[in-house]
This record gives sequence, structure tokens and C-alpha cells, in this order.
Amino acid sequence: MENIDTKLREVAKRLLLEKKVDVIIGYEKGTLPMTATPCFVSTEAEADKLVFNDLCTQNLAKFVHDLITNHKNSQKRVKPEDRKKKIIGVVARGCTTRSLIIHLQERQYGRDEVYIIGVPCEGYVDRKNLAKSLQQAEILDGTIEGGQLKIKTAAGDKTVAFKDVIAPNCVVCRFNNPIISDIMIGSPAPAMNPDNEYSKINEFEKKSIEERWAYFTKEMEKCIRCNACRQACPSCYCPTCFVEQSQPQWVGIGEDKTDTQVFQCMRLYHMVGRCVDCGSCISVCPMGVDLRNYLKKIDKDCVELFGSRAGSSMEDMPPLGKYSEQDKEDFIFNP
Amino acid sequence: MEKRLIKKDALVGIAKKMAEELTVWAPVKKEDNVLFTPLTKDAEPFFAYLNSKNAPKQVFFPHTETLMKYTRTPKGMVFSAEENKAGKTVLFGVRPCDAHSFVLLDMLFDQEKYKDQYYITKRNNTTVITLACAEPPYATCFCTSVDGEPVSADGADIVLTDIGSEYLAEFITPKGEKLAKYFGETKADAVAETKKKEIAEKAKKAIKSKIPAHEVKPILDNNFEHPFWATIHGKCLACGTCTYMCPTCHCFDISDEAKASDGVRIRSWDSCMFPLFTKETSGHNPRISQKERWRQRVMHKFKYYVDNFNAIACVGCGRCVMSCPVNIDIRKIIEDISKL
Ligand code: SF4
Ligand code: SF4
Ligand code: SF4
Ligand code: SF4
Repeated sequence: MENIDTKLREVAKRLLLEKKVDVIIGYEKGTLPMTATPCFVSTEAEADKLVFNDLCTQNLAKFVHDLITNHKNSQKRVKPEDRKKKIIGVVARGCTTRSLIIHLQERQYGRDEVYIIGVPCEGYVDRKNLAKSLQQAEILDGTIEGGQLKIKTAAGDKTVAFKDVIAPNCVVCRFNNPIISDIMIGSPAPAMNPDNEYSKINEFEKKSIEERWAYFTKEMEKCIRCNACRQACPSCYCPTCFVEQSQPQWVGIGEDKTDTQVFQCMRLYHMVGRCVDCGSCISVCPMGVDLRNYLKKIDKDCVELFGSRAGSSMEDMPPLGKYSEQDKEDFIFNP
Repeated sequence: MEKRLIKKDALVGIAKKMAEELTVWAPVKKEDNVLFTPLTKDAEPFFAYLNSKNAPKQVFFPHTETLMKYTRTPKGMVFSAEENKAGKTVLFGVRPCDAHSFVLLDMLFDQEKYKDQYYITKRNNTTVITLACAEPPYATCFCTSVDGEPVSADGADIVLTDIGSEYLAEFITPKGEKLAKYFGETKADAVAETKKKEIAEKAKKAIKSKIPAHEVKPILDNNFEHPFWATIHGKCLACGTCTYMCPTCHCFDISDEAKASDGVRIRSWDSCMFPLFTKETSGHNPRISQKERWRQRVMHKFKYYVDNFNAIACVGCGRCVMSCPVNIDIRKIIEDISKL
């Protein structure tokens, strides 16, 4: 993929210098080999650490929401005329802009509070996939060039093709270029392969109820209720999550099987028309729970029932946020 | 001390033989993860592992544990203790850093001021068999900076060391000696011991990751308020993965779960990384942001535990470093603090 780091840093410096933004959320090199991690840049000097490459995983829209909410909370006790506005710059690829659109549609902040630095995306490396293809050998060093990952591991040198370790959500991504932006860096990335978007779901749907239940049970048994999935998700921004409510208590906090299943089901259903398939929840899950299977099914239903794809345009309001006479309602009578 | 030699390929057999009579927790491969799991017919031990994803602390301090049960009757509440079903247990193939974590947890759960019977019963019932790191498994391992060693008997009842052709089994405690019958009859000679010493030295040198863990204590003593604390937490997701994976983190929550007139009181893991951890009934939260929470995590491990028990509450396993989804690296934080 085209190296846009220099351009990105130039733009970031200019935006900070011209005071168009107060802070920029981007990615920097991680402390572990072959990783990138979110970072916050508020001075020109710091801008030199910005990178954007195939190792950038996290959907940064989550941090946009966090920063704006924190800022607004800090202004609550300030007289309205003295309140300061804070503008957040964000390095955003396709899925990140979809999440920003969802925030905007759900009126979390104004369009003028976020400055979108759009970047083209060719997909990112799925760490769990990569670990698997290296037979879990520890990565000591490595480079990505021309679609090849050249990796030094504790068990010797290995070369892995990027296409073999790309995240499954990226393979079928329909919106890998930013949908909205204030400035674009780099040239648009080639289209991915969205035609097969639901092929795995179609297969899964063919299974019997027993088989599907067995799979669901097996996956949920891995979950340790750390909540990383929820915390990483840009659409999970409720100030108090139902999991943490105690009056009434919706789900127990222990390891009980049913509680875990209920927690996951409830979170999944809160994602109807709001999941952008960014893969953040999956990439952060320490236990490798297959959440995507269910998120993608919900997404498929949304497309088929309401012709809606989460955050795909500012005009297309989320299905649960609008009323249309064409909305299907036959399921009410015939579940 | 009793010392024996066992064949390399005999290890799995020994663990399985034990599992016929005792509850044996060992590393088991489950899909892409290696987890400490009780051995059963479908769960084979997997000793060619680096380290387990989850820390073995869950054997003594499970994620969720019933403390007691209660029933509401017309005559008032009736309470019953949760009987401890754990019989004799063996923890087979623990890495030395994790075995060290048990020593640290003992300081808290089994101390003069307070004795946690739930923990102590399980701990007393369990024999710990350590599988020493003849080759440190990860580049992120930093046990030598926090009073550990890749080949060490700390916290172990039996230590197994790969000395090339065989395993050297050392029976450290009487508890360990009781299990000697499973380990064959070949007595270890002086050659094996010399070899082990060499391996231990080599392994120690192979640890490349170092942190100034002791050096930061006086700095932490004086810098509860410092601008540095505002620089760590920005990207922290408050997910708690670091603390759930950590062998020494031990904070818990207690809650009641009731169904009609029957209820259980459970203790479950909690995390200083969760916003709810310190939230009070009034709605006030003394640790208002992730900044205060991260300061607590550092302080608890590198200052408070040292103040209370004269020990650092980190064993250098690197789990938090490897599992943090946003790469917040405790090694770098300690390094940065030492330069303040
Ligand atoms: S549910 Fe997961 S994939 Fe969907 S938007 Fe949230 S983090 Fe992204
Ligand atoms: S991140 Fe994974 S383990 Fe943690 S709560 Fe979510 S699904 Fe469960
Ligand atoms: S703080 Fe991190 S490195 Fe230290 S014991 Fe806990 S998980 Fe291991
Ligand atoms: S694992 Fe990382 S992101 Fe999660 S609470 Fe710990 S430091 Fe924060």
C-alpha cells in the first residue's frame, strides 16, 4: 500500500498550526513488533509519530466520541458564553467514517466538532489470523512490502502473504474509502470484494437449530466477560451500559453461562443498523470469541428487511431511527 | 531433596496418570488458545506451550465463586455455607513467573490480619508443579526485573527442568514428595544438577526485556500528583483485559443473586480499570477518569504492595503487554516513571 505517512504528518502539522483542530487522533508505531496503536497528537512535534498502514486496527471513532463527551462534561459548569469548543481531528478510513456518520445521525456531536482526515484503506492484518499462520510463534520483527509480510519469529523467518492474513471484515468491505471527509490523503484504494459479504452467513443459516445453538454455546463459553468488545466499539457509547445497571439488574456479573449469553445477545441487538463491521470488537477480544458471525447476520437482516447499511450515508437514517410506511411488518404476525 | 530424572515423552503420561486419581489442571490447547483446564478424557495436556493465555490464579481465585447460600423462610433467613468440593488438586506445568504469583497472592489472602478460607482451602489442597523456562518463551518476559527467574523453585512444590535429554524433577516440599511415586525411579546424578545450573544461568541471560521495577518505588512515593499520570490513559479502553489476564491482580466484587426466596452470594473478579470499580451508591466516583485508574494500577503493583508486603505485585509474565488491545505497555510506563 502507498506510503502516506509523510503527507499525513504534513497535514496534521498544518491543521494544528492553523488551529483548525485541537487534537488529532491517529495511529503510531506500537511497542511490540509489527503493531500500530492509537495515539493523540496535539503539538506539531508529536505529529511526526503519525503512521497509517496495514497494521492499524482500531476504529478511532470510539475515541472521537470519548473526547467530545469528556470535553462537554468538563464544560457543564462553565457559563454558556464562556464555553470553549473543541475540535477533534481524526484519521479515518472507510469504516471509521461510517461510525462517525452513525454518531452524527444519532446527534452525539456536530459535524463542526470533528475534522475528518480521510485515508484510503486496503484492509488490515488480523493479528489472530497472523498468529495462527505463524503457529503462534512470537513475532520478533518484520516488514510489509508489496503484499508480503516478512517476519522474524522465535521459530525462524517466515513470509506470509497479506491476502492470507487480512481481517475477514476487510476482505468483503464495501466502503474501504472514506464516505465523508474534510481532507483526503493518498489516492482512493481499489475496491474490495463485497459480493461475498454474506456467504459465510448463508452457510450458517442452512445449519439446523441444534447445530447453530451448539456453535453459539461453544463460542460464548470462551467469553470471560472482560467487556473489551463493548469498550472498543464506537457504537457502544451509553454512559451506563445495561450490564452495569443494578436496579434492576439485567444480567448477573459472574461467569454464569446464561448471563454471558444474555449479555452478548443484548449487546448484539443494540447493534442493529449500527454495526459497521470494523472488526474492532473482534480484534480486541482476548479469547477469540466469534462475534462477527452474529453481527453479520444482523447486518444482513437489516439490508434485506430495510435496505439499510449502517452509516453508509448521511442521508440514509438508521432503520430503528426512522419511520417508513414501507417497513416490513409481516414478522409481527408471522415470526 | 529428592531428585529424579524422567524421560521427555513421559510427561504427558504422568499428568494423565495423576488425573485418574486427582484433579489435575494443566495447559490444554483449545482452538487457538492454551488454557489451564482440568484434564478429562477430551482434554489432553499440552506441554509444548509458551505460556497459557489465562493465568492459573483461577484455580485458587476463580472468576466466580459462591461464598454462601441463603433462603428466605417464614421464620427468617436460613444461611448455608458453600461446601468446598475441591479435593486434592494438582497444578501441572505452571511457568515459574506464575508460580511466583501464588507466593504474592498468599501474602494477601493468607495473612495475619485476614485469612481467606476460600482461597486457603484450595491452596492447601493443591500441589504446584512448575515447568521451568529453559528457554524464556517470549521476548516480552521480564521476570528477572521483578525478583523472578526463568528457572526457579519459587512457589513450587515440584520443579521440572528440561535438561536436554530428560527432565530433572526436584521435589521441593513435602507436599511435592508425596507425588514422587508418579515420577519413576531414576535418581538424578550430579551431572544432571550441573547441567541444570548451566541451563538456569543461560536462561537468565536470555531475558532481554528489563524494567527498573525497584527503582521507581521512591519516585512513586513522592509523585501521587504528577503531570505524567495524564499521559498514559488516553487510549485505554477500560476493558480490564490486562487485569483479567494478570496472575497477580486479585480485586473482586461481592454480589447477591437471588431467585424468588433462594439466593447465593458470589464473589467475582473486578478490575481497577472498570469505571464502576470505585463508583459509590451516591453516584460519586473518587477515581473519576481512566487517569486515576491507571495510576492505581501502577501504584498498587509497584508501591502499595511493596509498602504492605515488601514485594512487587508483578511477576513479569508479559501477559498484559501482549493482550492489551491498544498496546499500553507497562514496561514502557515503568521505564518512563524512572526518568521523571
Ligand atoms: S459491533 Fe464490533 S464490528 Fe460492529 S461497529 Fe462495534 S466494534 Fe465494529
Ligand atoms: S471481548 Fe471477548 S471475552 Fe471480553 S467480553 Fe467481549 S466477547 Fe467476552
Ligand atoms: S502486570 Fe502484566 S507483566 Fe506483571 S504480572 Fe500482571 S500481567 Fe504479568
Ligand atoms: S488491557 Fe489495555 S485497554 Fe484494556 S484496560 Fe488494560 S490498559 Fe486499558
